[in-house]
Amino acid sequence: MTPSTILIQEIGGNLAGEVQDLSGVSPMSCFQCTKCSSGCPVASRADVKPHQLVRLLQTGQREAALTNRFIWECTSCQTCVTRCPQQVDIPAMNDALRALSLKEKKAPAETAVPVFAAAFLKSIRKRGRVHELSLMATFKLRTRRLFEDADKAPMMLRKGKLPLLGSRVSGRSEREELFRRSAKGGKP
Amino acid sequence: MRYAFYPGCSLEGTAKDFHRSTLAVAGRLGLELPELKDWICCGSTAAHTTNPLLADALPARNLRAAQGVPVAVACAACYSRLKTANYHIAQDSSVRANVAKAVGGDYDGETPVRHLLEILGRDIGEKAVARAIVRPLAGLRVACYYGCLLTRPPEVTQFDDAENPTLMDKLLETAGATVVDWPHKTECCGASFSIADSSIVVELSDKILAMAKAAGVDCIATACPLCQLNLDMRQKDIEVKLGRRYDMPIFYFTQLLGLAMGCSAGELSLSSLMVDPRKLLKSRGLGEAAAQPVGVKR
Repeated sequence: MTPSTILIQEIGGNLAGEVQDLSGVSPMSCFQCTKCSSGCPVASRADVKPHQLVRLLQTGQREAALTNRFIWECTSCQTCVTRCPQQVDIPAMNDALRALSLKEKKAPAETAVPVFAAAFLKSIRKRGRVHELSLMATFKLRTRRLFEDADKAPMMLRKGKLPLLGSRVSGRSEREELFRRSAKGGKP
Repeated sequence: MRYAFYPGCSLEGTAKDFHRSTLAVAGRLGLELPELKDWICCGSTAAHTTNPLLADALPARNLRAAQGVPVAVACAACYSRLKTANYHIAQDSSVRANVAKAVGGDYDGETPVRHLLEILGRDIGEKAVARAIVRPLAGLRVACYYGCLLTRPPEVTQFDDAENPTLMDKLLETAGATVVDWPHKTECCGASFSIADSSIVVELSDKILAMAKAAGVDCIATACPLCQLNLDMRQKDIEVKLGRRYDMPIFYFTQLLGLAMGCSAGELSLSSLMVDPRKLLKSRGLGEAAAQPVGVKR
């Protein structure tokens, strides 16, 4: 996609409505001032820039909105929504788009964010807290990125920043219940 | 004022230096920080990118356990998650009802959440901090770096000016340091992509370090485990990938305050910083504390 053109590929559906249901954010109030993209720390590397993503939602371009790399590269830094004259909460919108993208199996293959998030949440469920060393090990095994950042764990171990054993909090069944009910939107 | 301290997972590992220096500074100020019993993870980025209800329920589970006692937080990411959950729960009765179902009990979203910078700068106040200073950081030029999540979004955190926060600047000025005006106080370092996509961290952290260097500072002070880790640990990658070498020590603001309050290097875990600050501290006459690294084999 060139920076100024959106090729209308589909009409219909209600992606903006789905996003609003999930996140409470209405993409429709955006009038494309591009302030979000001007301050976005990852806009320069993004395949779709923040204001373009909002436009994709306004025009119902489901495929483009759910398959782009940007929704996985957003750092949730909150700069865009802080400066937006219409309070369009793009980070919250991206959370919703990520969930839809995963559900429809449309996340780009190169993103490791879902694997990282899953390993992170599993650690919370099991231990109550995140044990960074096991998290890093699980992430590396699952993504087979064994050699990327291979120097980091030894660096941190040397500095005493990665305890071998993490703490564990009791109440696992209570946590399992919290996760289960959250996944069902609060239903028992 | 009484607080329940919520350290967060990072302070048990990669940010143990933040933990130690926080407790050291609190000790010098007579501030008691008893840990919130059986606290669990706030859910961090992983929860809010996966499930909005989970992202509110995990903080609510902790804030409910505090039983109305203000919760003291060191990690900017935990702070953001706890404040955001409070905001959602207090503003939206349907969120409150769903969170109650998820955590097995009602929570009103009203337990105060205070970051250490707010506690030191506002609750305790600069005057009391000034009385604890015994070794002013004279001649140390510092860039105060706040990152994203303390100030943004401002209606949620209500922390300080969103574009030009000064809470940390004032505290370190009180400690005798020379703080500089610089434009990257609240730029993003790449935060939680530290592991999942480090190319983003390298690119963004480089911009922050370059601006700090241009501002002519000796070091950067941080208030967030991820900011500190990214700016400190990634300097090596930035050198390899982008060919720029900074050798810029990245402190937690509590380490600098602690130095000024006469704490030892061991109390402040200065030896766990990746970019060795000893040469710098020695050159500013602060080397005495830095000369006693403990606990870590080099």
